[in-house]
Amino acid sequence: MTVALAVGAVLAVVCVVLVALPFLREPKPHDDRLAVPDEVEQRRLSLAEDRDRALAALKELEFDHRTGKVSDDDYRALVAPLRRKAAEALRALDLRAERTDGERIRTGGNR
Amino acid sequence: MPGKRSPVRLIIALSVAAALAVFLLYTSIAGGGTPSLRPSQLRGHDGRVSLAGKVVGRTSGDAHAAGLRFTLRDVNGIATVPVVYKGSVPDLFRSGRDVVVDGKLTGGVFVAVPNTLVTKCPSKYTPKS
Amino acid sequence: MPDLGRAALVTSLLLLVYSFTVGSWAAWRGRRRLAESAQNALLGSFAATLVAAAVLLAALARHDFSFRYVADHTSRELPLGYTLTAFWGGQEGSLLLWLLVLCGYSCAAVLTARRAGREILAWVVPVLGLVGTFFALLLVFVASPFATQAAAADGAGLNPSLQNPYMAVHPPMLYLGYVGLTVPFAFAMGALLAGRTDERWIVATRRWTLAAWAFLGVGQLLGAHWAYVEIGWGGYYAWDPVENAALMPWLAATAFLHSVMIQEKRGMLKVWNVLLVALAFGLSLFGTFLTRSGIIQSIHSFTQSSIGPWFLGFICFITAGTLTLIFWRLPLLRAKTRLESLVSREATFLYNNLLLVALALTILWGVVYPLLSQLVTGQAATVSKPYYNFFLHAFGLPLLLLMGIGPLVAWRRASLRALGRTFLWPLATAVAAGIALLALGAGSSRVGVIAYTFSIFVLASILLEFLRGTAARKALGDSGWLGSFSSLIARNRRRYGGYVVHAAVVLLAIGVAGSSAYQTVRETRLHRGDSMTVAGNRLVFRGYETSMASNHRSIRGLVDVYRGNNYLGRLKPGKNQYFAEDQVSNEVAIRHDLLTGGDLFLIADQVNADGSIDLKALQKPLVNLIWLAGIVFIGGSLIALWPDAREERRLAARYAGATASL
Repeated sequence: MTVALAVGAVLAVVCVVLVALPFLREPKPHDDRLAVPDEVEQRRLSLAEDRDRALAALKELEFDHRTGKVSDDDYRALVAPLRRKAAEALRALDLRAERTDGERIRTGGNR
Repeated sequence: MPGKRSPVRLIIALSVAAALAVFLLYTSIAGGGTPSLRPSQLRGHDGRVSLAGKVVGRTSGDAHAAGLRFTLRDVNGIATVPVVYKGSVPDLFRSGRDVVVDGKLTGGVFVAVPNTLVTKCPSKYTPKS
Repeated sequence: MPDLGRAALVTSLLLLVYSFTVGSWAAWRGRRRLAESAQNALLGSFAATLVAAAVLLAALARHDFSFRYVADHTSRELPLGYTLTAFWGGQEGSLLLWLLVLCGYSCAAVLTARRAGREILAWVVPVLGLVGTFFALLLVFVASPFATQAAAADGAGLNPSLQNPYMAVHPPMLYLGYVGLTVPFAFAMGALLAGRTDERWIVATRRWTLAAWAFLGVGQLLGAHWAYVEIGWGGYYAWDPVENAALMPWLAATAFLHSVMIQEKRGMLKVWNVLLVALAFGLSLFGTFLTRSGIIQSIHSFTQSSIGPWFLGFICFITAGTLTLIFWRLPLLRAKTRLESLVSREATFLYNNLLLVALALTILWGVVYPLLSQLVTGQAATVSKPYYNFFLHAFGLPLLLLMGIGPLVAWRRASLRALGRTFLWPLATAVAAGIALLALGAGSSRVGVIAYTFSIFVLASILLEFLRGTAARKALGDSGWLGSFSSLIARNRRRYGGYVVHAAVVLLAIGVAGSSAYQTVRETRLHRGDSMTVAGNRLVFRGYETSMASNHRSIRGLVDVYRGNNYLGRLKPGKNQYFAEDQVSNEVAIRHDLLTGGDLFLIADQVNADGSIDLKALQKPLVNLIWLAGIVFIGGSLIALWPDAREERRLAARYAGATASL
């Protein structure tokens, strides 16, 4: 019986500590906001995904062409728009990075 | 090409229609399911049915010769029907067990379709009885 | 001791309720420490559930029959292994296993996501907490494994047919699969609740889904193997509702695994993916409900229990919640890209999805048909095996064919000329094989020939993929064939792992086709000295032998097998009679033919008082390919699951920026 009691007590203490831990570690936090990506960040993520998708599609097209799944004609037809898309995505990302950096310099620190 | 609508929705709609068509075709040919009945519900059903009940009383005969004879009773009732069955008999089969068997009621006796006798596993998640 | 178990479960319940309520509040209000606290609560719930599980396990190990659960499912002479695995042999224990696996997965999800980036967890934690709360509620208030009674002298024992290594391992495997589908569901709902439009949730749960799906597949194969060798009616799948309960979520998860690839590559099908993952999770809950509530008549007879209505209520709640959430976030999920061509890899994936979902839904219809017909006509009716087989052929055969077509088609748009060239070899091989098969007499089954021909097509196309890929890699660098081969797989783990899994499915299809469409069955009554022939094997009955073991008496029929003039061996089909459980079990005799992959399967249908035997003999060609397929399946899944450091880095860089600026 005492084993059960001991285990139960330890469990209770562990659970209470676990739940209270964040508050025990930082009783007076500098910043208690949950780091959630805002709309600006969402756009950036979306652009990053577009870029990765375009680059991956290019890579896959190359591979498919080399393994013969895509004929030379098809390759020529498909590669140009894909390259354009990838370039656009990269440019859009750079633009966004510039803009956010500029904003940060203007507002002087974290948003 | 600008203004070109995505064929995805069209594909999905057509496929759903095709699947439903296949489905309806099947059910119209093969008919609806086999009725699942208890002994008390047997009267009036002429075709092949699936009979579920509890084995009561003595079992006699040989399922691999002239036929195994036993009586099925409603699991929660008193109506009984004699059954004659040929084919494989599951090991769990015995008096007091719940079974399901396909067949037809012929002249007061339920004549089973061979090899359709199934006994329920009396274990796992049964409540305390 | 039972008090500790009960207390641990209550603790777990409280922690799960906390993670659900406080986690929702923290996510809504954006409170970091509170969100972390809710995450920690999930960790704590795992610890608490672990303690509860340990209490039950200890009670089982020391035969503590004051626990009603232990008394109901074990006995003193049960071997230790089966005593311990009886943990999940009954209702309450298996619910506890569900909760344990769920909390374990939640704990792992929290810990791994923390390393990757905490913000994704904000709304995932409440969803996980909600599902956990449901099961913990059941365990604490409705079906407690810690109910006590006056200590009995001995327990009721375990059904002898469950005393089998496969049956011991089959439930945990299935649960790792069922429960595993909760994680991608929670991440999907979490992303919707947070209003996110990116694919973070898919990237984060990719391995989870694959692992859960693999466990579910392996679990089903284990169950099928158990049914084959232990129940021994000569088959491995009976379309029983309980079997279908595991197949349906597996089919939905297969569809999901494929359609997320489209979302990844092209950004399409966002709504479809969320619906699919919810369907997979819902079907897995439904499957649990089916096997517990006894609401559908099944040979497993999990008879009427009180938890049925609870499950149904929870499933309805989850369905309603998911649909509302999707509808609310619909504007966010609109895709920008369009399907460009009906002949493209995206399109084949779409067809694959439609076929898989159609198959899952027809099975679902068959499973609930008795209920629906009872409601509508007042008369319960069941569907029969031909129903399931018809739709398995109607949807499964095209699926088989698609497995070979998909990999050969390019993304976006494939010109018919290019297709003609890539298809040439596999098509030619398949046609040649088909003709050869017909010449060999396989035409006796139309479905069988079609299945075989399609399978050859798929295998040829997979082989071609590996060959072409290796050649392309070799042309790039200067490593030899082997080096190029391994670097090809290493750099494209998901693709080539996927091809291996496809090969496994093809092996499965061949095994199933062979052992069902081309099997031979004979049954006769044999007296001593009599013989019967099945598929060229002559079986001679020599009499019986009986023996006694600690908990059973066994009787075996001695059957000598000859092929022509060659003596192949002696098989001993028979029966075991168990004293404590007062039950007879069927012990089949199987002879594996390693050359053809087939089995000679003998069943002692009836032992007769006059010394004769009613023997049923089946010759099942290629059936062992099914079990081989399981091994290949595991291998392919492992390859696909294997972590890729380069890809991890790239993904981390993509999402790291999310919090870097804040």
